[in-house]
Amino acid sequence: MSRARHNPKRELWLAWWTLVVFYNFFFPVFFVVTRVQPPPSPAWDIARQVQWFRAHHFGILVGFAVVFLIAGMTTMCNALIAYSMRRMSVSPVFAYSYLVMYSLSAVPGLLLLCIALTVGALRPERDPELIGWIYDFAFLSFTGTMGVFLIGSLVWMLAILTDKNRVFPKWFGYLNLCNALTEVVVAPSWIFKRGVLAWNGQIAWWLDVVVFGFYTGVFILMLRRLIQREDFGTGPLPDLAPNKVAAL
Amino acid sequence: MSDRGDNEAPGRRVRLRRIDGELILLWTLPAVAIIWIAAFVLFPGFTPPMSPTMPAEQVAAFYRDNQWGVRYSMILFNWFGVGLVPLLILIVMQIRRMAHRTPIFAYAMLGCVAGGPTLFLVANVCWLLAAFRPERKPELTQMFNDFGWITFTTLVPFLIAQSVILALAIYFDEESRPIFNRWVGHFNLLVAAALVPAAFVGLALAGPLAWDGALSFWLKNIAIGVWIVVMGVAVGQAVYRERAEYRQRGEELVSA
Repeated sequence: MSRARHNPKRELWLAWWTLVVFYNFFFPVFFVVTRVQPPPSPAWDIARQVQWFRAHHFGILVGFAVVFLIAGMTTMCNALIAYSMRRMSVSPVFAYSYLVMYSLSAVPGLLLLCIALTVGALRPERDPELIGWIYDFAFLSFTGTMGVFLIGSLVWMLAILTDKNRVFPKWFGYLNLCNALTEVVVAPSWIFKRGVLAWNGQIAWWLDVVVFGFYTGVFILMLRRLIQREDFGTGPLPDLAPNKVAAL
Repeated sequence: MSDRGDNEAPGRRVRLRRIDGELILLWTLPAVAIIWIAAFVLFPGFTPPMSPTMPAEQVAAFYRDNQWGVRYSMILFNWFGVGLVPLLILIVMQIRRMAHRTPIFAYAMLGCVAGGPTLFLVANVCWLLAAFRPERKPELTQMFNDFGWITFTTLVPFLIAQSVILALAIYFDEESRPIFNRWVGHFNLLVAAALVPAAFVGLALAGPLAWDGALSFWLKNIAIGVWIVVMGVAVGQAVYRERAEYRQRGEELVSA
């Protein structure tokens, strides 16, 4: 068969590298190009918000253009994570639920922010009251989109914890719970304009971003390990070195 | 959907599944295309595309003068904006028939399907809102108009992704018995490239990058239109070929 000429794992590696490339764009775009993260304060008066838009004008317009180009790469990442659940002994319900939730999450959780800030930066001379509304809309839609990530992480966690194919270690299941909890503690950012729970606060932003960054790094490595161990069977996933299987 | 293990058997391309309804869905496509073209022409903001340099008063006047045109066309788009989803799912079904080792491409494609229509509906709601009370403060109408146009122009992420994913899926398919010809893959990469400039729409209020410009409006929308026609035909051919194989297989089974 002609298929034998190819690395049987090339589709998985393609998805994994897409994931790596995506996050290598994602973090620099938010932290370096647009400089919208760490986020500005919700407590600022409108004059300061307008000034913030002026200072970030070009970065927003270029940086989010890049997001519009690459946001679709998330579907490859979600596909790979869904695949990890198909490799488990659990029902396909988990994989499909995760796939749908995370596919839809990109719109309220990412693209609305990019669209709103692009609209805000588009006309610096716009009525300041409206710029203030766009400012709130952008940051609250981004920080305040919680459920898709909350339930999505819990679905992955539940799949990992009930899986009998040893696709991921159980501690990684609990790490998903940590990621889910970050979506719980950001809820007060819909209420507070200052303090640790505001959208730029030490808990709602700093703590959450550290957990999310760590979680992302870990799941990238976990997925890499899964691909290395993949044997395309349906039973328990072998360890990397086959003679060490009994060690677990 | 069973997608583990069924890539192994040589007979997987004639897998027993009910494909007759697919033709009905496929043939809704010309109707959807005609409705889209009608709605496109009916929307006064597209013929010609509204300029981003219009002052707020002029934008408000536009919605006052064209209130009914905006409503008719955008209600049509609201009804049929998702009309393309069956075509995209038909593509997912064809990707599943390809000689891949994993369902990754089908999953990724499935993840793209709803993204484009969702963003389009956001734009659609903004335009309808602007027309709902055109007597509102002109700055507010202009803001809804900006949201509508920026969302409509930058709805490319999932469209780019689905073209690239489909192209890769085709390149990863078996060369001797391809589901789609290679040129369909090349064509999809070309369409993805044509959608790229629209992402940069915020950078200019006039010229080719502006939302009414040659790249962000004409190139992007023509590319989408051509993609729908070409993929409609390509998917149609694949579905008919699949049916022929299915029938042939059935006859073989009967004579065996």
